[in-house]
Amino acid sequence: MPPSKGVAEPYRPSARVLRRVSVLGVAMLVIFAVLLLRLWALQVLSGTKYVNQAAANSFRTVRVQAPRGQILDRNGVPLVTNAPATSILLWPADLPKVYTTRYAELRALSRLTSVPLYEIAAGIRARRAGNDLVTPVTVREAAGEPMIAYLYENAAQFPGVTTWRTFIRHYPYHSLAAQVLGYVGEISPAELAGLAKQGYQPGDEIGQSGVESSYDSYLRGVAGSARMHIDAFGRPRSGLTTTTIAKPGNDVRLTIDLKLQQAAEKALQYGIHLAQANGKWAARGGAIVALDPNDGSILAMASAPTYDPSVYAGHVTLGELARAGLTPKTAPAKNIPSLNRAVSGLYPPGSTFKPVTALAAMQEHLLSPYAYLPCTGTYSSPQDRSHRTFHNWDPNVNQAMDLPTALAYSCDTYFYRVGNEFYNLPSDRGQPIQKLADAFGFGQSTGVDIGPEATGLVPTIGWRQQHFTSAVDKLWKPGDSIELAVGQGDLLVTPLQMARLYAALANGGKLVTPHVLDDVESPNGARVPVAAIPAPRQVGIDPAALQAVQKGLWDATHLSFGTSYAVFGKFPVSIAGKTGTAQKVVSLPGYLGLQNQSWWCGYGPYNSPKLVVCALIENGGYGGDAAAPAAAKVFAAYFHVAFHILGPIHSD
Amino acid sequence: MLEYAGSQHAGRRTDREEGLAIVGVLRSLDWVLLAGIAGLVAVGLWAVSGVTRFAVVGNPSYYLDRQMVYVAVGGAALVVGTFIDPDIYRRYWKPIFGATVLLIAFVFVVGHAARGSTRWISLGFFTFQPSEFGKLAFVLALAGFLADRTRDVGALGTTMRVLGLGAIPVLLVFAQPDLGTALVYLAALVAMLFVGGAPWRQLVALGSIALLLAVGVLWAGPAVGVNFLKGYQQSRLTCFVHPSHCSSADTRYNLEQSIVAVGAGQVRGRGVNNATQTRLQFLPEHGTDFVFASYSEQRGFIGASLLLALYLLVLWRALRIVSIARDFYSAIVAGGIVVALLFQIFVNVGMTMGIAPITGIPLPFVSVGGSSMIANLAAMGVLLAIYARGRASRRRR
Repeated sequence: MPPSKGVAEPYRPSARVLRRVSVLGVAMLVIFAVLLLRLWALQVLSGTKYVNQAAANSFRTVRVQAPRGQILDRNGVPLVTNAPATSILLWPADLPKVYTTRYAELRALSRLTSVPLYEIAAGIRARRAGNDLVTPVTVREAAGEPMIAYLYENAAQFPGVTTWRTFIRHYPYHSLAAQVLGYVGEISPAELAGLAKQGYQPGDEIGQSGVESSYDSYLRGVAGSARMHIDAFGRPRSGLTTTTIAKPGNDVRLTIDLKLQQAAEKALQYGIHLAQANGKWAARGGAIVALDPNDGSILAMASAPTYDPSVYAGHVTLGELARAGLTPKTAPAKNIPSLNRAVSGLYPPGSTFKPVTALAAMQEHLLSPYAYLPCTGTYSSPQDRSHRTFHNWDPNVNQAMDLPTALAYSCDTYFYRVGNEFYNLPSDRGQPIQKLADAFGFGQSTGVDIGPEATGLVPTIGWRQQHFTSAVDKLWKPGDSIELAVGQGDLLVTPLQMARLYAALANGGKLVTPHVLDDVESPNGARVPVAAIPAPRQVGIDPAALQAVQKGLWDATHLSFGTSYAVFGKFPVSIAGKTGTAQKVVSLPGYLGLQNQSWWCGYGPYNSPKLVVCALIENGGYGGDAAAPAAAKVFAAYFHVAFHILGPIHSD
Repeated sequence: MLEYAGSQHAGRRTDREEGLAIVGVLRSLDWVLLAGIAGLVAVGLWAVSGVTRFAVVGNPSYYLDRQMVYVAVGGAALVVGTFIDPDIYRRYWKPIFGATVLLIAFVFVVGHAARGSTRWISLGFFTFQPSEFGKLAFVLALAGFLADRTRDVGALGTTMRVLGLGAIPVLLVFAQPDLGTALVYLAALVAMLFVGGAPWRQLVALGSIALLLAVGVLWAGPAVGVNFLKGYQQSRLTCFVHPSHCSSADTRYNLEQSIVAVGAGQVRGRGVNNATQTRLQFLPEHGTDFVFASYSEQRGFIGASLLLALYLLVLWRALRIVSIARDFYSAIVAGGIVVALLFQIFVNVGMTMGIAPITGIPLPFVSVGGSSMIANLAAMGVLLAIYARGRASRRRR
């Protein structure tokens, strides 16, 4: 064995080495003290902060949409409810990482759900772009049972695909009051920009039109939240645990009466069919408004053509929307079903506007109700330098008439003369027809609680000045006053504005605010306070003048020469009302020309009015032919009576 | 005293000791140190059982089972190490050194890479990390080199030579690249010089050079566009100073998640199921490099300070051995092992709490991994052997 040098000397650690060992010992103690202090600072002193950070790391809060409130008719019958549905969700983070398998899965999913692959891919891309891996992509809302069953059985082939119980809008009466009720859809970025402050968030459903939109804040409820564990890669690792229970939306009760609404829609179709039977090939739409003249509550509001809002519920496909005429491309061919013609359709009112002219003339003392003016076949204004001839609807008349008779017979030349009187008024007396039309709410929003509302147009001297460029057009001519007097020319109104006018004629001159909201009820039945409907306000009509107009409207339905005598003459309830036949330049696919808009507006019972009905059949010919019988159907349904038409009428 | 006589004396003593081997070692065993090691291993297994429970789906004890096998093997190494006379290492330091350098170099030939670093040799059932075993072998060999020059320890020439020799494995490990382990080697080497009695001025000079190197490599070099380290190494070493200004998103993320994990443990710990930082994998490498953060999250201040206390106990008893050692060689071996261990513990625990650079150094007795566990237990065996022989020789004198 070689000598071992290390052991050779008896070893005793020198004092120096011992000192160094103690130095090491002290260093060791210092190091451990530092570690322990740091540990104490992190865990004991700021532990809570780090617990919160860890929680923020690993929990993701997911919004749980609240069940939307129901929409009820005035008797509590649900018009829009919720139906349970199962949607198919895709969690992008859980998809296979290998491109080919991921692609194969998405292809299979696309085939199964019949959702185009590009739609699914777009959803995933949107999440990726937002760096949001925790919000699932809704592949298909309202998936059918077979799809769900297939997914359950083949779950292994579809990593990252889950199903989720949701509610979708259900329309028990299909297309009933479609434009009034509206539909819901996912909030758009533009809407979100304006509404983010009110708690709306991406992915929220929001009312897109009608009541769904106007009363969205009541219907939507308060979204709850649920949270789940996710791992460092954003993959969900647990089910959802509810943290805040979603607060269901409130029910909205409308003034709409289901039965009357159904009747109004049937009546509208009836009116359109009548017009078509009369050879009015372009009669393809219209509107009927029925409201309570005392408070403005709308009992029925029909607009044709219409659509079934269920196409917007659940899985929305472009193809379905296109077939229903709800895309910009297909809407014209289907005559724009989404348009609520009662509030947004603009038409010249024709003779239904004559009461306004009459009232204005009486107030301006241009007319005494029981003085006679000639009713002739034609009229031309002595002041008109163009010597334009205006025709009466009935060219073979020549007799003097008082105001009620002129209204009942709807004598145009009588009102042409009155209109010319207005033209001859000195300018310091203003424009009384326009002023009164304004007081009756024309040319402005009615304040109805569903939109969007068209305001229409009351042509004035100032408007002509502003709107036209050439010196001739800028000038207000006798023809302008004459046409305005009979509701023609540039005057444009909505059926709802007309219904409001007739409500004022019926209730003694009070202008009501039309509305569809009755009240809002919380899910437990308690009333939720809502903004009050403005009270009817007096327009300020001379009662005697109004009485003369009312008599004219009664005569129109009850005297043998009345324009809607054939319809209302033997009607079991005393109805007063006026026909209108308004010429409008109509542009239809492949056609441009003048078409008669068929109007009838009136109310009943005559002595204590309960219902105003205003009917309009687009391109439907004479008011008495199409609109009046349609309106009569609504009255019949309201008063639970039957009626029969006395014979063919071809009148204004 | 004549050198020859000394040699004879040594020879006699060796003869006698061999007869005493089993009984004598058992009689003079450091039972406190042994208990401390056993406690550490037990806490380490407890930590692994929690930290890796969700690591392998369907087999919560996958890593624990393996770790227990390593503990068994390491325990055997400890027992064997206890009964081997450390003088044998001194006598054969050259082959030990050669074999170590070869094995570490061999990694470059057949090694397999993980996380950007080639440190492992696959043996089929076990991936073997020579640099872990190298720590012990490095200490044993270089202590032998110093012991051969006992009288010249402190001479500048010896210091330069031992540094030159040590530089071979250090540079090899650094090139793997495994900066952390290379630093452990250096710490052990400096500790041996320190305990061996190298004069302060040399140590101060060494320290100054190290400081200059660090400043040059970490700050001055990059500032003038010279990069000695890879980008991630650079950021790992410097990020802990200003985590919010960290240039490497990964490093910053690791650091932040680690601190959150430690802090979230609070006093009592969140338990295995609720320790979301670990369970949901926010904390990377929570079974190996960041095991302390994960363990602290699950077991809280109570568990973490228990672990630190056990470390302190083991290190304290191990440091004592330096002064009990029978001979110069044993003393500096003990010093090297103690400082290497201390360095690893400080750097690893410190990095999880943001007070030390991030390196890939495993936490002794806790991190999942066979090489580290076995090598550390074997090193403890060497310490126990030194203690036992030191005690025995004291008794005789």
